[in-house]
Amino acid sequence: MKIGVYFCNCGSNISDKVDSQQVQQELEGLADVAYFKINDLMCSDDGKQFLSDDIAAEMPDRIVIAACSPREHENTFMRVLSGAGMNPYLMQMVNIREQVAWVTDDVGKASSKAAHFIKGAVKRVGFHKPLEKKSIEMSAYVLIIGAGPAGLKAALSIAETGRKVTLVEKSPAVGGQPVLYEEVFPNLECAPCMLEPILNEILHGEHAENIEILTMSEVVELTGFYGNFIAQIKKTPRYADLHQCIGCGECVSVCPVDVKNEFNNGLDDRKAISLSFAGALPNVPFIDMTACLRAKGEDCRLCEQSCPLGEGIILYDDAEEIVERRMGAVIVAVGASLYDAGLIPKLGAGTVPDVYTSFEFERLLSSTGPTGGQLVTRSGKVPESIALIHCVGSLDSNHKEYCSGVCCQSAFKFNLMVEHKLHDTHIHHLYKELVYPGKEEFFLYKRAKENPNAVFTRYRNIASLEITAAEDKEGGSIIIKNTLYEKAAIKADMVVLCPALVPAKDTGKLNEVLGTTSDTYGFFEELHGRLDSVRSKVRGIYIAGACQSPMNIAQAMTQGMAAAGYVLNGLVEGKQLEIEPITASVDEERCSGCKVCMLLCPYRAISFDAEKRKSHVNEVLCQGCGTCVAACPAGAMNSNHFTNEAIFAEIEGVLA
Amino acid sequence: MSDNNNGAGGGFEPKIVGFLCNWCSYAGADKAGGSQKSYPPNVNVVKVMCSGRVDPQFVLKAYSAGADGVLILACHPGDCHYKEGNYRAMQRHRMLLRVLNQHGIESERCRFDYVSAGEGDRFINVLTEMVETVRALGPLTKAIISDNPNSNMIEERS
Repeated sequence: MKIGVYFCNCGSNISDKVDSQQVQQELEGLADVAYFKINDLMCSDDGKQFLSDDIAAEMPDRIVIAACSPREHENTFMRVLSGAGMNPYLMQMVNIREQVAWVTDDVGKASSKAAHFIKGAVKRVGFHKPLEKKSIEMSAYVLIIGAGPAGLKAALSIAETGRKVTLVEKSPAVGGQPVLYEEVFPNLECAPCMLEPILNEILHGEHAENIEILTMSEVVELTGFYGNFIAQIKKTPRYADLHQCIGCGECVSVCPVDVKNEFNNGLDDRKAISLSFAGALPNVPFIDMTACLRAKGEDCRLCEQSCPLGEGIILYDDAEEIVERRMGAVIVAVGASLYDAGLIPKLGAGTVPDVYTSFEFERLLSSTGPTGGQLVTRSGKVPESIALIHCVGSLDSNHKEYCSGVCCQSAFKFNLMVEHKLHDTHIHHLYKELVYPGKEEFFLYKRAKENPNAVFTRYRNIASLEITAAEDKEGGSIIIKNTLYEKAAIKADMVVLCPALVPAKDTGKLNEVLGTTSDTYGFFEELHGRLDSVRSKVRGIYIAGACQSPMNIAQAMTQGMAAAGYVLNGLVEGKQLEIEPITASVDEERCSGCKVCMLLCPYRAISFDAEKRKSHVNEVLCQGCGTCVAACPAGAMNSNHFTNEAIFAEIEGVLA
Repeated sequence: MSDNNNGAGGGFEPKIVGFLCNWCSYAGADKAGGSQKSYPPNVNVVKVMCSGRVDPQFVLKAYSAGADGVLILACHPGDCHYKEGNYRAMQRHRMLLRVLNQHGIESERCRFDYVSAGEGDRFINVLTEMVETVRALGPLTKAIISDNPNSNMIEERS
């Protein structure tokens, strides 16, 4: 084997401390070293030209470059090798600047240390194999789970580039949580007005044909890997034709069955055939078969008969269906839900009438809500005072330790919305901490504080609050006591609890389906909290919006856009997916099928072939850390470019 | 070339192999270089992508090839570029120490520690301590004789 050694003086950075002559002498007699050449500045244009020409002239089998840190110029020299027609992996760089010349005073010792490093590289490079980047076919389609702000933004951004998107939404309507709100913080903008242009764009816009919307649907299985995922999606029947129905609502008005309306948190009733709320999109009702008389064996056809378009719009024979979609990437944007205030029983959630959660209160304020936007108690009374409890289950080691950052803004918004609706109603804010970071958020706090009917009271621990129905209704039907200060009781007609945001129901199940991971709090876990907060730990699966962390609409939209950016950047239509060659691979002869490697792999890159009883490494998912290689008890796992042989040789070399 | 193992007394210069992960500790060593502070030249660096790649056999190989000490440097807990390779390395190191102890090799000859990409000074401190510790212990008199990397034998060094 012919190995060439190139020694870079790095101007005088290296040559001041490392004597190339001494190094050359120490290398004398080292097998396979065919030549030792010195250059003043290898990374300069002249230096690179010299290297390129010299490789062409000498035709070495391997080369060693003793210069700066490979973190500095390894890629530079790899490109030179490629340009000179030599496989770039047949080179080993030796760091004799940062780790030798700059840190060793004595020239003799520095030169000797450099020689040892170079010997290690010479021994090692003999074991280098010419590696090639592989490329595989991939799909540029994208699956998005969740049609809230983050999912919608991602879907629209990707569709606008002409890419196909499948948008899977569990509920019958798109728009997520905010579409259920009347106004959003920080500027009390009308929520439907803000979202409807986006929803219309998604449903009927110029790029709508690129977006397939599957409502009342869930992803039940995901197989494959980045570039080549296959999803099984379960579609629950809607029993109405999504394409032909004109959404007139005739069928809803004739339905004889009333059930609790979960879209208004059970605060009113809906029909068995219903829209989620007035204005829900797609504007097509669904039949709740658990409530419909037909499910009880009756041949009720009132909805079908009332349809002005005739038969064929209401579809009693509609059935559950599993559809398969293939895609290159997945964006998860399933949002969050509220911490269960029932876990703090003294707060009266679900037991004391007129104690509401913030979501329930949003619906009470909404013109499409159970009272049509009229703010009244369950008994129909206009509330004289309302208590807003901040930090429910937040900043509390007995509940959730974090601050969700959005609940205070909701409470300030409620303050102003109440003031607009009921000018004389008193408002009590009970809070543990008040937060309003950001350029717009303070404004809302200031406005809430300026409300002459508003009082702000701080409490230390939510466990000391007791909310009960008042026996004496004078001044309010609910009494809020702080047990630490008996005298400081507050009376109110309504209490609104503002709980922490927590992962949406079934987040754990979805994590299992997707093979992604969850963080300490159960949110989808990001690859890196600051650098890569929209990437999950599985390559090609992105997480956007409040399913990653509590956040507001603006942040969710931004994350949706960020996820779209990753997808558009990584999956380019018509191109192949390039695979880095430094990965692990299995020697099937030696693999005993113990699966130790599978348990260790942080990227789910190793699968088990049950038929052969062997492990298999997916080169797309493998990141080349080599943890599995070190763990394999049979020595069956190999690490490209970092083989045992190469590292053993390097160890021998540096100690020689 | 400096031969050292039989250098009794003051002349002993320990040979140490340092396994450094690419993302944190190798970068930390480069950072130390950037500050241009001199430190003992006794550590020969072998770069791996992740400390999780450090097979205990590498350590044994280092001893058999003449090292008096081995340093394994990883990303700090929670910082691993590959999520958790550093935990694996830490676990393997603990296990390895038991094997080494059983064969009379002192724990101090195999140190596992964390150095981040920003901790140039910490790299110098850990490395200098290691060199001084091994210098005080003297040359390794046990040798690991192994032609087959899968079966290591530890014997007296000749």
